[in-house]
Amino acid sequence: MSVDASTRIPEARSRPRKAIRPLSRRPRRRAKSTALTVAMGLMLVYTLIPLVWLFISATKSNRTLFDSPGLWFGDGFHLFSNIHDVLTYDDGIYLRWFGNTLLYSVVGAGGAALIATMGGYALAKFDFVGRRFLSALVLGAISIPATAIAVPTYLLFTDMGIVNTPWAVLLPSLASPFGLYLMQVYARDAVPDAMLEAARIDGAGELRIFFTIALRPLVPGFVTVLLFTLVATWNNYFLPLIVLNDPDLFPLTVGLHQWNTMAQGGGGAGTPTLPLVLTGSLLAILPLIAAFLFLQRFWQSGLTAGGVKQ
Amino acid sequence: MRTSPPNIRSIGRGSTAVTAAALALALTACGGGSGGGNASSGSKVDPSAVKAALDQPAEITFWTWVPNIAKTVDLFEKKYPNIKVDVVNVGESKDQYTKLTGALKAGKGAPDVAQIEYSALPQFALTESLVNLADYGAAGLKDAFAPSAWSQVNVAGGIYGVPQDTGPMAMFYRKDIFQKLGAAPPKTWEEFTAIAKRIHDADPSVFMTFADPSDSGSASSMIADLGGKPFAVDGTDVKVDLKGDAGTKAYADLFGQLIKDKLVDGNASFTSDWFQSITAGKYAVWMTGAWAPAVLDKYLPGGKGQWGVAPMPGGVSAENGGSAVAVTTQARNKEASVAFSEWLNSDPEAVKSLNAEVGLFPATKAILDDPAFRSAELPYFPGEKPNEVFADMSKAVRPGFQYLPYQVYADSIFKDTVGQAIQHAGDLNAALAAWQDRLKTYGKEQGFTVK
Repeated sequence: MSVDASTRIPEARSRPRKAIRPLSRRPRRRAKSTALTVAMGLMLVYTLIPLVWLFISATKSNRTLFDSPGLWFGDGFHLFSNIHDVLTYDDGIYLRWFGNTLLYSVVGAGGAALIATMGGYALAKFDFVGRRFLSALVLGAISIPATAIAVPTYLLFTDMGIVNTPWAVLLPSLASPFGLYLMQVYARDAVPDAMLEAARIDGAGELRIFFTIALRPLVPGFVTVLLFTLVATWNNYFLPLIVLNDPDLFPLTVGLHQWNTMAQGGGGAGTPTLPLVLTGSLLAILPLIAAFLFLQRFWQSGLTAGGVKQ
Repeated sequence: MRTSPPNIRSIGRGSTAVTAAALALALTACGGGSGGGNASSGSKVDPSAVKAALDQPAEITFWTWVPNIAKTVDLFEKKYPNIKVDVVNVGESKDQYTKLTGALKAGKGAPDVAQIEYSALPQFALTESLVNLADYGAAGLKDAFAPSAWSQVNVAGGIYGVPQDTGPMAMFYRKDIFQKLGAAPPKTWEEFTAIAKRIHDADPSVFMTFADPSDSGSASSMIADLGGKPFAVDGTDVKVDLKGDAGTKAYADLFGQLIKDKLVDGNASFTSDWFQSITAGKYAVWMTGAWAPAVLDKYLPGGKGQWGVAPMPGGVSAENGGSAVAVTTQARNKEASVAFSEWLNSDPEAVKSLNAEVGLFPATKAILDDPAFRSAELPYFPGEKPNEVFADMSKAVRPGFQYLPYQVYADSIFKDTVGQAIQHAGDLNAALAAWQDRLKTYGKEQGFTVK
């Protein structure tokens, strides 16, 4: 990050100096960038408000949740007691859900990113019969929303006997047509053919070439796909909702939804689950934020890497 | 406990694609007809075999989303130690139905026993997914239950569930708002409208009540309360009459006008906005099922003592929410499953536990007529006897309201049609007609003969 900033700023400053523009134009330029800043600021506020609301709500007790303003704190700061309630409700089922989500997204997203990288590389760098057809198939697969094939998937999984097992969530998560396409485009430019030829001449096998030579320049693309699939699997809701019946296998999304509907349904006697939903949601997004902060440097370089033609 | 309406809303808030796919799953199961396989109709089982099954070793999986119901199930396991009951909460209402229809269609994976709301019962009964309890001698339970509850499990020519809880509607009202005006809770719908005007005139920020644009259940209950019978089912013959039915029209005229005059606010219940509004005293009354005290107690603890309970205007009531417990055709041990369902919802010890420990509003006469129950003071309503009103309302439920055999679908498109009119003060009669058109089309697509 810091390296990026230091290299960019002088560049940005030098530009106006190089091209001397008529005075009359200057204010317009400045006005333009102010508008842009304001627009970005609004976007920032727009994206942050729900998070702020979530955080503030998570600090409220059940009693003050609805008789205090939504975007300001109520009486007292109950975040820690709420977290305690979330972690202990129903014998700590939340931690179990958290672990499930972690498993589904780490294995699912990691696997999907790896498969997409290998497949994309193969489609980009190998010439074989049916390559164009496969490419088209992948492109077509992107346009089919996952929800549309949820029902056939469910019936298929029933036949395979994996409904209500972690495999029912993991297997579909491993396929990322968009990631595959992205990696195909990315690998085409990121891995020079000459490098591969040199490796082949030196007698390296294809697997070895991929893992020791080709993978390195592919890392930014890999991380990009990893981030996309990580977000997708972390937030995966509909698929686990229909293929899992056992609450012990639920990911956070389905578990929190269950708490939420319990709250909406009145739910007879017992603990009010609404504060649990709010605090549980807050906890659930923390790992994603951490993943983004940690991985964004790769992502940034990944986004720009394809921009320059060699 | 509110068990009927919220499901629809929660799924409705998701993306349409999700809803569509969920419906597709339900639909697939419907189209499959004999879903779970061998339907049980016809073969009568000796009731003594059901009783005997209680002492034989058996395992029962019970899908329910009622929190704390394990307490009552524990009593059962203590009494009949040979039977192990596995209580699983796979999701509430609609979520559970999606899984249940999927498992029934797939031929395996369904539970032995499942909680099903009265509104969804015809759908599962008609697809032959449930055991007809009449074949197991359940007709003998008739006198144990309030007629309004019993009639709701009598669908598709059989008995497809044992009533668990009910939600006869009553009118919860803010005592402070009425006291300020020197008004009593309205006894007729004319009084209702008149007081609504006075309340709104006195403070324009206060509405008489709200109408939920996303909750088909509460609208159906109001229609039923006003004498409407828009749906009728006889085998595969279905009648949808939201245009010409007198009671339905009465509902549309009454509430259409109230919404237009801004005396009734369009607001989806159980949202953050709704909780804020009701806490702030924006609504003078809330007409809803007898499960509501649990909601008030849990989420509006500050409102303790603010609310009174009165009979519905007009003195008649309707059911809003409530569930039955049904045995699926995939049940491994049907006799034990039937015996468990019956015990859970009719044994005196069990129903007492369901009411006191689980917080369900009873469906059995034994409790509804029990003087101790009727005169009980609920801590949230100091100085009131809410149970007495609820029990009277339970007796005053208008008989004969039926749900569609594809009510889950009907509920899901409610907000696109009638809900729009509620939200934007449009023409309720026209909106009901639009709902009817879509329901007729869908019914025909499903293979029903629709009139």
